[in-house]
Amino acid sequence: MPLISARALTKRYPGGVTALDGLTLDVEPGIIGLVGANGAGKSTLIKILLGLLAPTSGSVSVMDMDVATQGTRIRQFVGYLPEHDSLPPDLSATDFVTHMGRMAGLPADASRERTAEVLRHVGLYEERYRAIGGYSTGMKQRVKLAQALVHDPKLLLLDEPTNGLDPAGRDEMLDLVKRTGTEFGITTIVASHLLGEIERVCNFLLAIDGGKLLRAAPIASFTERTGTLAVEVEEGAELLVRRLVDHGLTARLDGQIVLVDLPNAEPYDVVRDTVDELDLALLRMEQRRHRLEDLFSGAADDAA
Amino acid sequence: MQPEPSAATATARSGAIYDLGYQGYDGPRLGRRAAIATLFWSSWRAAFGLGRSGRAKIVPWGLTIIALLPAGIAVGIVALVGNAIQPFSYDNYLSQIQVALTLFVAAQAPELVGGDQRNRVLSLYFSHAILRLDYAAAKLAALTAALLVLTVAPQLVLFAGKVLSATDVLAALGDEVPKLIQIAVSSLVYSLTLAIIGLAIAAFTPRRAYATGAIIAFFLVTAIVSAMLSNIGSPPIAWAPLLDPVGVADAVNQWLFTGIAMPTNREGIVDNPAWWYLAALAAVWVVGIAVIVVRYRRIQA
Repeated sequence: MPLISARALTKRYPGGVTALDGLTLDVEPGIIGLVGANGAGKSTLIKILLGLLAPTSGSVSVMDMDVATQGTRIRQFVGYLPEHDSLPPDLSATDFVTHMGRMAGLPADASRERTAEVLRHVGLYEERYRAIGGYSTGMKQRVKLAQALVHDPKLLLLDEPTNGLDPAGRDEMLDLVKRTGTEFGITTIVASHLLGEIERVCNFLLAIDGGKLLRAAPIASFTERTGTLAVEVEEGAELLVRRLVDHGLTARLDGQIVLVDLPNAEPYDVVRDTVDELDLALLRMEQRRHRLEDLFSGAADDAA
Repeated sequence: MQPEPSAATATARSGAIYDLGYQGYDGPRLGRRAAIATLFWSSWRAAFGLGRSGRAKIVPWGLTIIALLPAGIAVGIVALVGNAIQPFSYDNYLSQIQVALTLFVAAQAPELVGGDQRNRVLSLYFSHAILRLDYAAAKLAALTAALLVLTVAPQLVLFAGKVLSATDVLAALGDEVPKLIQIAVSSLVYSLTLAIIGLAIAAFTPRRAYATGAIIAFFLVTAIVSAMLSNIGSPPIAWAPLLDPVGVADAVNQWLFTGIAMPTNREGIVDNPAWWYLAALAAVWVVGIAVIVVRYRRIQA
């Protein structure tokens, strides 16, 4: 049974904007990247999973429970880090996270103990007793993560967790997310429009575009090697392409880089010999990998 | 799994992440009712600024003291000069401290619901084990319970004063104890009415100053319009007192103690049957709660 199962999920906002358009997907445990451009429907999907929004049509279940009818039970096992600010400035991190633990159904003692633990996990120490209003963005983001973790959820929904962070804070937050997912074994969905972040943290990827599922597959399959050899020479790239074609290879020029199809290992030798023959300076020769970006540029091409 | 080297070496930097392992939680999860109770108590505490800075306590505690002061003074007078003078009785006490009660609602209703909208904590609450209307109900109950402190406590002071200053304490106790039920019911009626009105207004804006201003304006305008209409014309307009919800609660309060439904300070002006006031009070509650329900069903989280 998949952890999340959505069937023909559609959300239309009043005013005619369609955020989700017949989305059908199954999510298995893991660290899942939910990518898409701004407005692709990432936040809408997360809010529907939480029961914060009702879908216009379609159905979705989390842990085999229907979101529409068993929302309060589901939410005892789900942690949520919203994209926007969501902290009261007048409370301390300790008081607020303890309170949120109790809102998730923990008894008072358990909530206090777990608050101390998760605040330590996210790296908040003496400052946890000070009012949140005085915190930096990075510290606030950690408090948001702590309140999502305090009740030991089975599913963690992180909406743009690095929003507003500087590069160092971004790195620390991503490490934290990755460790939370791998060491704690909590299935984590990270929504982001930054593919690089998803690539660093996640092992599975859900790509949505225009409210539809573009692709769902392990990250590795997006970044695996392609059947293309990229060759970079200092100059004379055009000459090289012509000569390679003469030798029976399929070669083309992409900017200053020569791309050669790789049906087998043979082109490696041909390229080496041809470069030597033409007396060119070979800078680089490597098998190309897919990049996550290709996914969306491909989608854009399809649309066009 | 072993901690990542980057995390382990990061301990040297300031603000770094330490790794002390992680324990899961296998204990009980108490569910929706416990979550509602938690929200109720935390909101009740917030109404008095408990667990907040000292500044957050000034207004609620100041108004609580003001609400208690007349009872304290009355008991003091009774202690000094005996039972000859009774400056306050149960039936008119709440109308005497009405200003303190309405100011408490105006100041603290926005505190209970405005901040959650302003800081967008609402989306965290709604993503926990409660329903939207559970949130509204917990807030309404908390504000009512906070007002009960201001309404019941001074009447208990009066009660203690009356009993202890009597020559025959036991006989006085026998006389006064039945009134405790009346005190409880009338305080609940008064507190709930003010809380419903305050919350129905405060729920509509995250801006604290707007909410406070709107609540004060509502109480002032209804009181003034009602007073003007009941003073013009001869005979005066009989239904005019019904336009003032606080006056209506006061009339019901009088009726609970004396059997005569008459807003304080309107004696002799109008004489309406008790059910008019009871119906008007029910209307205030139904409309106010409906407004709160509609607001929290639709509010964006």
